Amino acid sequence: MSGLRACRPRRLAPAVMGAMLVAAYSLLAWSRAPAGPLPGASPGMPTRDRVIVGLQLEPPTLDPTESPAAAISEVLYGNLYEGLVRFAADGSAQALLAASWDISSDGLSYVFRLREGVRFSDGTPFDAQVAKFSLDRAIGPGSINPQRARLAALRGVDVLGPYTLRLRLARRSGGLLQSLAGSAFVMLSPASVATNAQRPVGTGPFCFLAWHRGDSIELSRNAAYWGGPVRLAGLTFRFIADPTAAYAALMAGDIDLFSHYPAPESFAQFQRDTRFAVFVGPSESETVLGLNHRRPPLDNLLVRRAISLALDRHAIIDGAMYGYGTPIGSHFPPSNPAYVDLTGRYPHDPAAAKALLARAGFPDGFSLTLKLPPPAYARRSGEIVAAQLAQVGIRVAVRNLEWAQWLDEVFTRHDFDMSIVAHAEPMDYDIYARDDYYFGYVSPEFKALLAALEQTVDPAQRTPLLHAVQEKLADDAVNGFLFQLPWLCVWNAGLHGIGLGGVLEVVDFHAAYFLAGTPPRGADADAVGLSSGAAAGWPSYGGLAFAIAAIGLVLLAGRQLGIAYIGGRVSMLLATLTFATVVVFMLVQIVPGDPAHFMLGLQADPAAVATLRHRLGLDATPWQRYFAWVRGLMHGDFGVSYTYRIPVRALIVERLQVSVPLAVYALLLAMLAALPLGLAHAASRDRRGAVLLSGLTQLGLAIPNFWLGLLLVLVFAIDWRWIAAGGFPGWQLGPWPGLKALTLPAIALATPQAAVLARVLDGALVDTLHEDYIRTARAQGAGEWRILWRHALPNAAIPVLTILGMQFSFLLAGAVIIENVFFLPGVGRLVFQAIAQRDLIVVQSVVMLLIFAVVSVTFCVDIAYRCVDPRVRARDGAR
Amino acid sequence: MRRGRGSLIAGALITALFVATALLASVWTPYDPAAIAIVAKLQPPGAAHWLGTDQLGRDELSLLMAGAKASVGVALLAVLVGAGCGVPLGLLAAARPRAIDDLIMRGNDLLFAFPSLLLAILITAVLGPGAAVAILAIGVFNVPVFARVARAAALRIWTLDFCLAARAAGKGAGAISLQHVLPNIVPVLVVQITIQFSLGVVAEAGLSYLGLGVQPPTPSWGHMLGEAQTLTALAPALAVIPGLTIVCFVLGLNLLGAGLSARRRS
Repeated sequence: MSGLRACRPRRLAPAVMGAMLVAAYSLLAWSRAPAGPLPGASPGMPTRDRVIVGLQLEPPTLDPTESPAAAISEVLYGNLYEGLVRFAADGSAQALLAASWDISSDGLSYVFRLREGVRFSDGTPFDAQVAKFSLDRAIGPGSINPQRARLAALRGVDVLGPYTLRLRLARRSGGLLQSLAGSAFVMLSPASVATNAQRPVGTGPFCFLAWHRGDSIELSRNAAYWGGPVRLAGLTFRFIADPTAAYAALMAGDIDLFSHYPAPESFAQFQRDTRFAVFVGPSESETVLGLNHRRPPLDNLLVRRAISLALDRHAIIDGAMYGYGTPIGSHFPPSNPAYVDLTGRYPHDPAAAKALLARAGFPDGFSLTLKLPPPAYARRSGEIVAAQLAQVGIRVAVRNLEWAQWLDEVFTRHDFDMSIVAHAEPMDYDIYARDDYYFGYVSPEFKALLAALEQTVDPAQRTPLLHAVQEKLADDAVNGFLFQLPWLCVWNAGLHGIGLGGVLEVVDFHAAYFLAGTPPRGADADAVGLSSGAAAGWPSYGGLAFAIAAIGLVLLAGRQLGIAYIGGRVSMLLATLTFATVVVFMLVQIVPGDPAHFMLGLQADPAAVATLRHRLGLDATPWQRYFAWVRGLMHGDFGVSYTYRIPVRALIVERLQVSVPLAVYALLLAMLAALPLGLAHAASRDRRGAVLLSGLTQLGLAIPNFWLGLLLVLVFAIDWRWIAAGGFPGWQLGPWPGLKALTLPAIALATPQAAVLARVLDGALVDTLHEDYIRTARAQGAGEWRILWRHALPNAAIPVLTILGMQFSFLLAGAVIIENVFFLPGVGRLVFQAIAQRDLIVVQSVVMLLIFAVVSVTFCVDIAYRCVDPRVRARDGAR
Repeated sequence: MRRGRGSLIAGALITALFVATALLASVWTPYDPAAIAIVAKLQPPGAAHWLGTDQLGRDELSLLMAGAKASVGVALLAVLVGAGCGVPLGLLAAARPRAIDDLIMRGNDLLFAFPSLLLAILITAVLGPGAAVAILAIGVFNVPVFARVARAAALRIWTLDFCLAARAAGKGAGAISLQHVLPNIVPVLVVQITIQFSLGVVAEAGLSYLGLGVQPPTPSWGHMLGEAQTLTALAPALAVIPGLTIVCFVLGLNLLGAGLSARRRS
């Protein structure tokens, strides 16, 4: 019976040839002549008018009045949203939508004269009514505005005229104007306020175009901007979390500017390179070794002073930040005119530190834990601080946490000894007056200082008070004050007119432009950044087609194998899936960290957190949530993401458009590599050839795919500039740009798969080659290759096809690391980010979807295998 | 079979070298791997530091040796967890009637269906990152592999004459499994152990690269690769050496497995 299978190879041949054609086209599209940027300007080139900006963190929402995430300001503050006032370079308030203002002598009434002729991008005119609406909404009872507490002194807002606004205060507030400059108090259009989280509307030089989650945000020029003509046609912000990917993207020319560049070790390289311009600016981010005053012995002043003496700030800055960063002696930015340098208060002196510890009663030191959040500056500084404290006898155990864990353990539950984090809010020394802040520092003298400060409006009188605040914090050695986190910015030297240096650390693009003749990007197209989001997505159609095919297969198999058998298998499948939903749900529920708290961040006000929890449905019981979820799954409704506030299905569809082609591409490449390798190995009589081939296979298995990915990026994207360093341009410009972007990741993924497939194929071929009909064919005089191709291969194909089916499913999920190395917005990366962001709905639904895919593919392959191969049927029947 | 001999010897030598290094690193390394000396950072290979220093001034060779401890330790313990739970399950499935066999195999399929890396990330999110959690996460996915392999091998042994004779003599299934079946499936298990060990080394490197495995300051190769990514302009060796080390170790283990499997077949 099995000999008749020799007729089958004709059906394989076209498939293999088709695969080879696809591969040939990919190679063709891939191997263009290296197109690096030209050394000088070329006047014939059209002037570029779109800037692509890289940033580390994606904003969770586009409404700054709902979330304190700094990423929202980076993208939209000043570019899209504007407030009554904005920050000047020195931290004071400057006129913006409010042209001028008067403050009454008792400091309880502020009258603003608003700018006329300003419109929102949705057409709504800006006037005093709109301003009142925005402010009332921010401080009103149901508000979840994260900076609400800053306007606590505000009693009411009155409209005195079409462009005149009065703010009535309950008490004096010296910092009111600076608070109004903050990103949470921007002016909003009443007509569009409900949808600002997804489609922001503001008065700024740019308006919102599109948000491709996980990938980019696009803004386009506001032709009717009140501040004059805008030279750039648009801005695109791309999210690149990984320091290496950021470096690669800049070098390859995929992005034009990176603000808050995350890899200081490579910063010097950009400084030396004439293709780039750099900026090292001060920031408002004080990086602090936070001490928990609730935990002895950290409540002992001598111990805290000893810790400060043990720290060597210069070594920390050198080792963690490669020299970028300014040492600080208290919680205040050196760039502020009221700064006083207190770094000499506790110079680096281990001997003095040990003496102090002995005086405090710890001659042999003690043990502490140091809990660190994810950013590189924290992790790196933490290692160095631990080593420095060890030198004076304090034994430090370092624990690395993700943001959600950090917020839960350190920030909310105060379950920590020490931690390192940068406090980014301008003028945030008021945290030391809050008893419930995570430090647990309680000082009536400090509170008195702050109260006096609130009462003082005149800058000349505020300065000595600010000095006193800094000295008090240093005297009490409240925390280990490390350094001011620098603002590192790198950009293409052809980009001019950008505004840098504000206290909110956002880049101002309203006057930006490219110098004429700036060379084009290293890799293809202004296509980068235009990935499709709105398309209903062929994944839905693909899913439908798969479902139809699966049902057809089951019916066919039912006829061949018997209804009882199929019925049994289908019910087993359903039982497996149900069990999987329970396991996934339970696992996700016990992940610590509250999504609402994570989303609202460090400054969150408990009322706001409670409101958000209710809004997200987090206060229902676990049973209710489980059944609601499963019911939704059966209707195809995967829930609504906590962080992005859009249906999870839409997110998944977007991401599948990257992950599925990548998986298919990798599988094709793997097959293409494995086929000749496996065939050659099975055919080779020559010992050396066999050893070489088997060595190659072993090598393929041994190389970690992420390391291969890194090497590929370094060689092809950075050194030779043939391909973009990563990212995904979308499919609407045709298949080739997308395939080009997926080529390096696919190769990295395919290499170990190819080795596995070659091994399986070789094993199956060798087994087949021992069969009788092969011996017959040889006796009849058939050549070795002919035997392999026509007789052995078709029979060996079956176990290989079984493996292929399973590989595809694992490729979909297992590409997490690769998607991070190449910053591809795929499904694996979605889940990885969702876990870090505690977006439990996304995690649940996507993991369940992947399990469903794996289980159903395995099921179908299994059934098909049994239908096709009568030997398996017989073997199983005998059990 | 002659083809397997070369692999076996080469694989055994390489594996032994790495395991010996891991053991040696517990008592001696050229320098203290945790000794931070910012002044001496990013030095190229030279007389004082044979493989150079990393971005905090630590000796690269010492870090590699100490990293071997993490890789060998985590992968080995994960394999032991997997074999310790999986082999008894497989033996049980082979010895018992259909229902239990089906139950165990369904459980297996369920576990196989979970995307392993994602589940490992979830587990570390729940329990916090660290060596113990990495061992658990990798070990959990070794269990179905060993169960399946043990079951398949045991089923074959059960059909042999001496097992049938023992059953006829009235011996219980459990006793037969332990005394007759288990010793005969050991060769298959050994091969599988080397395979899972090598997969475990790669998995541990991947988890450490993502920051979820062994935590700093305990060195691990994956973490060193992660740190070295942005330093490639300053010190490319830092990105290459740990990767090569992983490749060599995994290669050695795979060769060992291939050699053992070829010997068993012949």
